[in-house]
Amino acid sequence: MMRNDPIKHVFIWPAVLVVLAISIFPLIYSLTTSFLSYRLIPPIPPRVVWFGNYVSLLQEPRFWNAIYTTTLIAFIAVGLQYTIGFAVALALNARVPGERLFRVALLLPMLLAPVAVALVARMIFNPTMGPLNQLLGRFGLVNLPFLTNGHWALGCIIAVEVWQWTPFVVLMMLAGLQTLPEDVYEAAELENASAWQQFWGITFPMLLPISAAVVFIRLIESYKIMDTVFVMTGGGPGVDTETLTLFAYQEGFKKFNLGYTSALSFLFLIAITIIGVTYLALLRPHLEKRR
Amino acid sequence: MLRRTFLMLATSLATACAASQVNAACSPDYTGVTLTVASQTGPYIASALKLGADEWTKKTCGKVNVVEFPWSELYPKIVTSLTQSDATFDLVSFAPAWLPDFVPYLSEMPKEMQSGKDWDDIEPAYRERLMVWEGKIYSQSMDGDVHTYTYRMDLFSDPKEKDAFKAKYGYDLAPPKTWKQYLDIAEFFQRPEKGLWGTAEAFRRGGQQFWFFFSHAAAYTNNPNYPGAMFFDPETMDAQINNPGWVKGLEEYIRASKVGPPNALNFSFGEVNAAVAGGQVAESIGWGDTGVIAADPEQSKISGKVGSAMLPGSDEIWNAKTKKWDKFPSVLPGPFMAFGGWQIAVPKAGKNQQAAWDFVKTLTSPEVSGQAAITGGSGVNPYRKSHTANLQLWSKIFTPEEAKEYLGAQSDSINAKNVALDMRLPGYFSYTEVVEIELGKAVAGQTTPQAALDAVAKEWNRLTDEFGRAKQLAAYRAAMGLPPKN
Repeated sequence: MMRNDPIKHVFIWPAVLVVLAISIFPLIYSLTTSFLSYRLIPPIPPRVVWFGNYVSLLQEPRFWNAIYTTTLIAFIAVGLQYTIGFAVALALNARVPGERLFRVALLLPMLLAPVAVALVARMIFNPTMGPLNQLLGRFGLVNLPFLTNGHWALGCIIAVEVWQWTPFVVLMMLAGLQTLPEDVYEAAELENASAWQQFWGITFPMLLPISAAVVFIRLIESYKIMDTVFVMTGGGPGVDTETLTLFAYQEGFKKFNLGYTSALSFLFLIAITIIGVTYLALLRPHLEKRR
Repeated sequence: MLRRTFLMLATSLATACAASQVNAACSPDYTGVTLTVASQTGPYIASALKLGADEWTKKTCGKVNVVEFPWSELYPKIVTSLTQSDATFDLVSFAPAWLPDFVPYLSEMPKEMQSGKDWDDIEPAYRERLMVWEGKIYSQSMDGDVHTYTYRMDLFSDPKEKDAFKAKYGYDLAPPKTWKQYLDIAEFFQRPEKGLWGTAEAFRRGGQQFWFFFSHAAAYTNNPNYPGAMFFDPETMDAQINNPGWVKGLEEYIRASKVGPPNALNFSFGEVNAAVAGGQVAESIGWGDTGVIAADPEQSKISGKVGSAMLPGSDEIWNAKTKKWDKFPSVLPGPFMAFGGWQIAVPKAGKNQQAAWDFVKTLTSPEVSGQAAITGGSGVNPYRKSHTANLQLWSKIFTPEEAKEYLGAQSDSINAKNVALDMRLPGYFSYTEVVEIELGKAVAGQTTPQAALDAVAKEWNRLTDEFGRAKQLAAYRAAMGLPPKN
């Protein structure tokens, strides 16, 4: 078959049309909706407001609060996941006794549905029946407002995120560690390099590309956090734990304010893109040094 | 050959006779019909629907499939199905407040169901008000909901407690007539060292919290001199939620949060019931489920000691027209039809409408609904006259004294002249969401009651303008039972 054989169109166009139909069209439809004042309940005929929804959102303190809360959860949770995950991966790579058991056990949280994890967490943090407060009570300590105080509730959500997703980091970093060449470490040993020097001089730089990828994936995923917050706090108290996706859910599926929600989704997309691009731009010099 | 033909004919005849005998037991015959009902996750309401489904299957040979969704998911699921005009659900069970949003997609109740003995047996507050929208009937109450007061009879009748209470507050320990007395009682019994707390109410966002706040505020804002002005001015549709009556209600609601079990701020109605049945609190307010659960020895530590009364009231009520407090010669009780009781309706898009309405008839019949009302955890509270009149029915779960107080509180509240109706408006969730958010902030001490309610009022007015003030005003007046404005 020649490169300019017209038969290629028969193979290419159906695929292009399917992609257009299932991904590009909804995106364009959603973008169009974001320029409308469009409510399903109560039914109000759509009206073009151009950037009205975007302007309202940018002037809405609740939107900025959701950005702040999501960013806080994402950065702290991913930071802790990476630090703990890397440390555990190093330990497992050192072939500790029972390493296989640890590896399987560590994977379990990641395999659970976030909704199930959040339900269990909600029970653990339950003010009166939860084992955590009962334990504190046994030691004569006061009940802590785990899910009723904004700061505590954020802490609890971050703790659950760290518990569930650290295994992902462990898995990825362990895979990276196992690909590192032995001879570099042997050479370092001959030079009397300490374990700390070996880590900072060899392990960390050599794992930088995979670290960058892991943190990037987790960061993007954390920005999409919804089910954990929905089940544990519902965004409360007030809007103290309301994330961007939960805010979008409330507007879209509780109030059926479709135009506003579409605009919110696009602002979310822009925010995520800015964070992703900035992150990659900051890392680029370090990654290029590695090439 | 002839013999074989005769044999076959005889066999077919016998089969046909047998089939007609089976079908004769199905009246009306809905063999092969399966109805799908949308419900909130059980046991509340879903179990009552299943009870009705069993009866309907016995009667008609049709089947009912109850599809359950968590409370927070029920509204979006129903709206999505209705607005797309798909026939996913033959019936939908929902809160009365959602009726204005659903009306365009619901079928009207058949006229023959709107008369007769069973129809007249429904309490007028439901039959003539909550089930009606713009003069038409689109749904049937399957539950009655009014907030009442529950207390521990053993504590209230203890001579030592009575003496100590009188010495401290200067009046007798008894079910409170005013919200001040309610808070005094809560404060008096607040004894954390003994595992006893004052009161339990719902304070959790998404945990039915705003209805508890509305119950406090109803006493100060539902003014008989200016009916229907509790939530909005029925002349202008201006939000009233930041007037002094509402602020007083919120201040007291916040005070109630401080005389409850630890972390009461995380309580939804389920936790309130657990606290009452566990004997942790001296009093509480809430729906009729509290009394039924607390009376059940299998679920409760205080069965046999459950007292009930109407909600406290006030002798001063804010007048939204004159913008002054109206003083009344005596305390007016402030019953509030919080939520208003589950409704069931048949979507226009449903393919089995006749069968669906027949199921509604069975489900809400005095016999089936009466059984559901006395079943703890069914979520069904009295909404028929026969429910509260039949003391014998209730003797299965209550002592005679408990039954008398419980049924008296229910009946008196529903039939009170000044009973406050819950808000029903198109875009209901948009209105209540901001209440939930600001309540959370006020209860957590992040903002003052006045500032929180000012924020709610501002958003309510903005929403009203966005949805169309004239349309919302007409809907609000209809919901409050007021005639259309010329």
